[in-house]
Order: sequence, then C-alpha cells, then structure tokens
Amino acid sequence: MTDINITYAQLLETNNLIQQNADETYWLCATRTVQESKIFPVSAYILFSYLNCFYRYPTLLRKIEAQMSAEEVGDRARNQGVKIIAWTLPCFYLLGREMLINWGVIKPTDAVADVAYVLDFWKRFQLSWHRNNGNITNKQAGHRAQIMPEQRLQVFHADAFECREGDPLHKAAQSFMATTAQYGFLVSCESRLTMHNHGPYKIADNREMLVRDFRELSEYDVPWLDGVGQNIPYNNLTVTMVLENCHINLLDDWGSFESEPEMRSEHMVAVGLYTADNLTDGHIPVGMGSKEELTNTFNDLTERVKDATGKLWKEMSGWTRDQQLDAGALTYFAVVKELAHIAGVYEVDDWMMIDERAERFRPLLNDEYGNLFLGELVGYITTPSQRMHDYTMMQHTGQPARALSYFPYSILDDGDYTKSVGPMRPGSSNLPPKSDRYRTSEGVLSLAEYNRRSREFVPSTCQDRYRFLCADWVKYHYDTPLADELFNLEQKHSRLLKGKGAGLLRADIEKLRNGD
Amino acid sequence: MAKLFEDTDKYGYQSDFPIVEAYNSAMKDLVRKRFAESGKQWNDFVADSAYDDITPADIANIEQRLLAYGYRFEPSAMSSAIERPQAYKDSGLHDADFCFEHDNAPTAPIDVDGRELRGAGDNVVTRNANVVGIARYVRTSDKVLQYLTDGVPVDTIAIVDDSGGTLTAPILEKFKAVICAGGTTRSHLAILTREYGIPCFMNARLSGVKEGDKLELEAVAKAKSAEDYANGLDVSGKVWRINIK
Repeated sequence: MTDINITYAQLLETNNLIQQNADETYWLCATRTVQESKIFPVSAYILFSYLNCFYRYPTLLRKIEAQMSAEEVGDRARNQGVKIIAWTLPCFYLLGREMLINWGVIKPTDAVADVAYVLDFWKRFQLSWHRNNGNITNKQAGHRAQIMPEQRLQVFHADAFECREGDPLHKAAQSFMATTAQYGFLVSCESRLTMHNHGPYKIADNREMLVRDFRELSEYDVPWLDGVGQNIPYNNLTVTMVLENCHINLLDDWGSFESEPEMRSEHMVAVGLYTADNLTDGHIPVGMGSKEELTNTFNDLTERVKDATGKLWKEMSGWTRDQQLDAGALTYFAVVKELAHIAGVYEVDDWMMIDERAERFRPLLNDEYGNLFLGELVGYITTPSQRMHDYTMMQHTGQPARALSYFPYSILDDGDYTKSVGPMRPGSSNLPPKSDRYRTSEGVLSLAEYNRRSREFVPSTCQDRYRFLCADWVKYHYDTPLADELFNLEQKHSRLLKGKGAGLLRADIEKLRNGD
Repeated sequence: MAKLFEDTDKYGYQSDFPIVEAYNSAMKDLVRKRFAESGKQWNDFVADSAYDDITPADIANIEQRLLAYGYRFEPSAMSSAIERPQAYKDSGLHDADFCFEHDNAPTAPIDVDGRELRGAGDNVVTRNANVVGIARYVRTSDKVLQYLTDGVPVDTIAIVDDSGGTLTAPILEKFKAVICAGGTTRSHLAILTREYGIPCFMNARLSGVKEGDKLELEAVAKAKSAEDYANGLDVSGKVWRINIK
C-alpha cells in the first residue's frame, strides 16, 4: 500500500479524508482554547513541527510499513494504548503543507503521492484502532471513543476498587492524576500529548468508565527525561476511572472530554491502575492486589512524579529559545513515533531531529508571527489558500473557507504534479544527545535491544489464532472453548475474573464485585 | 520576476494580519526570485533544488529587513525577549510594581461588608464557599524558582497571566487559589487546578490589585461551561479587595 496510484477514485477519497480533518481542525481549535506559555514559544514550535512532519512523515511511515502494515500497527496500538494519533498525524502533516502553499514553496499539486499515502496510512490505522466501534475517528462516532473489546473492559470493570471522596484511595488517585497531568504538560512542552483518554464505557445505569492513559513518563525517547525520569518505574500508566452520576457527553480526537454535570472529585467512585507497552500482553495491573496496595502505589508514584517535575522544570527553565523550539517541535512531530516502536524500526535520527528542510525556516518563527500565522491557519481560517468562493459555507462557521487544500482533479488530465518531497534529509537538534536508555516493561533497554524485542514480540491477541476474533464473533460463539481462551488471555492477571471465560455479562461482573 | 501558482487566486488575496501577510509575501518574493534564477520548470525546481536554492540565509534576511524598519515583535515566551531584546518589545514581566489594569474589569466602591470590587473571572469549578487569601503575582520563572526554593507563602492567591500548565508546575498545588488573566475554563491551567481541587478564575479582568492585597474570590459562583462560552454568557465570579486600610 506504500505506492499510491493517482486515480480519480484515489483523489476523491484523499480529498474526503482531507476535508474530514479540515472540519475537525477548526472545531477542535475553536473549542479547546489557545495554548499559552511563558516558558515555551508554543505557536512557533507548533508551526516548526508542522514543517518537519510534512518533510519527514512520508518516509517514516513507509519505513514502518516496510516492517508492519498500518492496520496491524493499529491492532497493536489498540492492545497497548498510544498517544493521540487521530487528529495529529494527518493534521500536523497537512498544516505543514498548507504553510508551504501559503509561502509559495510548494503548490497544491506537489507531493501528491506523499499526501495520498500519508492519509491512506492514517485511514487504515484509524479503522483498525476503532475496529470495535466501526468508525474512523471519535468525531465520526459522535465524539465518543469506545476502543476496547468486552473482554478487557470486563477486567477493568471487575477489578476497579470502590472509593469515595475523602477516603485514602480516592485522595491518592486524585493526587496522582493531578500530579501526573501537570508533569505531562511539562514533559510535552505545554501540550496535552502525554495524556489520552478513551471511553466512556457503560458500567451501570448511573455509572460510566473513562480510561485515562498517561504515556511516556520515564526515560524513553525524549532526551529531556534522561536522568529526570529515571526513578519513575513505569513508562506508561493507565487509570481506569468509574464515574457515578456523571455522563461523559463528549470525548474528542484530542482525547479531551466533557461531562454533564461537570466532572468533580466526588463523581469518581472506583479506580484501577495498569501499565502497557508494545512488549506487554495487554494491560498489566499495577498495585492492584488490594485497596491498600493501590493506595500506597498511587502515593509512591505521586512522590516520584513530583520529584521528576521539579527537576524537569529547573532544567527546562534554563533552556535557550532554540532548545525550547526544538523540544516543542519534536514533541509534536514525534507524537506518532510509538508506531515506529511497535514495528521495531524506531531510530533517534528519524524522530528526534529537525530535518534541514524545516530547519531553514527557523528564523521566521518569532513569537508574534507564530501566534498570528497559527491563529489564521487553525482558528480564523483566513490565509489565502483557505479562502473559497462566496457560495461556500464552511462547517461550524458558514464562512467561505476551507481549512485544508484539496488536490485539484485537473492533475488527472494534465499530469502536472510532483509525487514526493523526496527522501529525508539530515536533521539536527539543539538539545543534548539522547542516552541509550529506554524504559520498557522488560526493564531499561538499549534501543537496538528494544527494537529487536519489538520486532520479535507478538501480543497474544494479535497472534493469528485470535487476531480476527472480534465482538461479532464472540456474540455468536461465546460458549466455545476458543472464546474462553480469548477471554482468559485478558483474565490471566485479573483479581476477580481469572479463568472465568467468555460467558459473563456486565451484570455478572457487578455481582462478582459485590461478592454475590 | 517569475509567477507562482498561488499568484493566480480567485478567492484568496492576502492574510488578515499585517505581519503574517508581510512574512508570507516576503517568502513568496523569495521563491519567485530563486525560481526565476534557476531557469527550471517548476516540477524540477521544487523537487530538485528548492532546498538548495532557498537557503537559511535568505530566510533570515526576511526578518532582518522587517527589523530594519524598526518593527519589534510582541513576545510570548520569556526567553524570546531576554535573548533578543533588539528584536522584541519589552515584556514588562519584571516590573516590580506591576498590576493588571484591564479596561473591562468591573469595579465598585467599598460595600457594607468592607469589600471593594476589583475584578471578575470565569470560575472553573463551583465551590462551597468563597476563598480569602493574599494576592501575589507570579509572572516569571525567577519568581517560581524563588517560591520553589523558599516555599510558597501561606494563603497565596497567585495572579498569573499565563494560562499554561508549565510556568507554575512545581508550585501550583501550594497555592490557595489562582487568578489567571488569560485562557478559559478549558485551558491547561484550568484543567490542572480542577484536578488539584484549587479554586481558580480564568480570563480574569482586574484593576488595581496590588501585591500583598487581601482578596476574596467568589468561588461559589457558577462555573463557566462550554455552552456559556458558546452563547457568550457572562457568568463571572467576583474578585473583591477586603480589609482595606
């Protein structure tokens, strides 16, 4: 699938994928407020990242697919959780394209095969990630993200410990999430890319579960966590959070949620904690032996994260603007790098460098131009390339504009287009070199060793025997030994469900929780 | 001068913001010039030599020309103005006597309870009671470092102009409350104060609140929702100065 034929059908689909992202770009940016920071030149680094994405994603995604297809990567991602891919991958890339069109550096007819390929990769990944709900984005699902299969949700549901506002577990969980969210904003240079949420999942008439992923907390890909994250024993942590009398009415493609009524501390009535990466067989419980153990685990992790926060803040506040610009741009650009880890093809020079073609634009990216150009691109939708004829009514605003440029179909007649931006150019960074230390579920590994293990490991649920046993198969085969096998894969670490098999319904889980 | 594909545009002419238009036009001028000099067809130019022909030095020259006219950029990150004072306006962040003077800040004389209205803000979460504390401006990393070293004074109501979650990261949980002059109840700072259970007003409009003033925040006010923003409703909580001498 890495070679795209430029046909009418292909262009129709590509333009549709562009438009889906265009509409959601405006909505997300308009409703999620402006990012500000006194430490980071946020808008400037965002624009910088878009350029790096445009020049590098085609090559890097093809490199991933040389090892593993996008849809298989999607299966693995669903098994372990990932950062936000839904909006970031296509839109960072397409907004880089839009910038360059507005600068006259490229035409809308340039890099046609690259653009079509990047969007095709994204489509196949997203369809796989959303396999259990049949949509391509949270937006298409009505801003809902029901990603997990029943067998894993049953484990999350069964093993979550009840808690109430003011009790030790509730306090510990709240403190952990607040502290880790804060650390996450810092790690990801004032962006929310360290945090991802999916759900809601229905637990009872008045209860819903939200699954909250806090990712890349320890020593891993970014050089600024070398040393700083050393004492955080898990790179990824997932909090399962059961809410009572609080409906998650929106969960968007940035992983942000809204609720009715507004979620408050007292709405959380049960909680669990897990870790997962591309070397684990699904989600592994952390401190889930008892309520007391979980409380202590949260408290211990909170102290470690607080310590790392202080160290990281001191380090970052001493950075030069160029270092801030690089760190922010690399955080955005590399948000999809986990896909390279899944395929076992991650390289520092691929993902932690600014391509020299993007680097040359650094002198343009002062704070004021950064803020206003980004504002026009994603908020006002007023750059020349985005303006359309007067009969146009853009979704959400009705203005005669389109956030992202299409391919003109005329290229099918005149053949006047270029296919690609070409291979990657050398990159550079003003940040310290990355230490060869990668925190995984199998300990701290060198990158070579980590890539080797990634290429060799296949999670059970992704093995041929189970890979296509979906919810529709379970529906009609739940009473078979194979269905029990499938469910037992998820239940092997469960406190309440170990060996229970495929026959349980949600109500049965609730009875088990109540000791009935 | 060569003509670019984008030079023929029925619907789009220029960007809204002058500085965006100035930069983008300068970039197009540069591309036109280098494209003409190359003597190539576009498809060969863009694929083969656009990188080598449009150099970092060319691009740096665009900014130099703008600065030569006397233009100075509005800073947002502290490092920008500190590293290049010749290119940025003074941020004013280190002004010791600073206090916000927003034109739209609601004010009123001292009431019967001894409270003087000095502003308002968008309440992040409705609390059971108002909050009383001491106003302290936290606008720079130097101030954060000072508090990180010496400890945050008790009862601090931090007044910040940065709605992000990074500037105050290591000390945020020590504040009694936060008043932020920017952002909305969906900003990162709002998300974090909600998670920590710290009362917080975003998008605050203040007038005459000085360092060390005793303040009362109307934390019982309605939290401003997405619908309130969408419908343009003002559901602000009030900020009073109290115990005025």
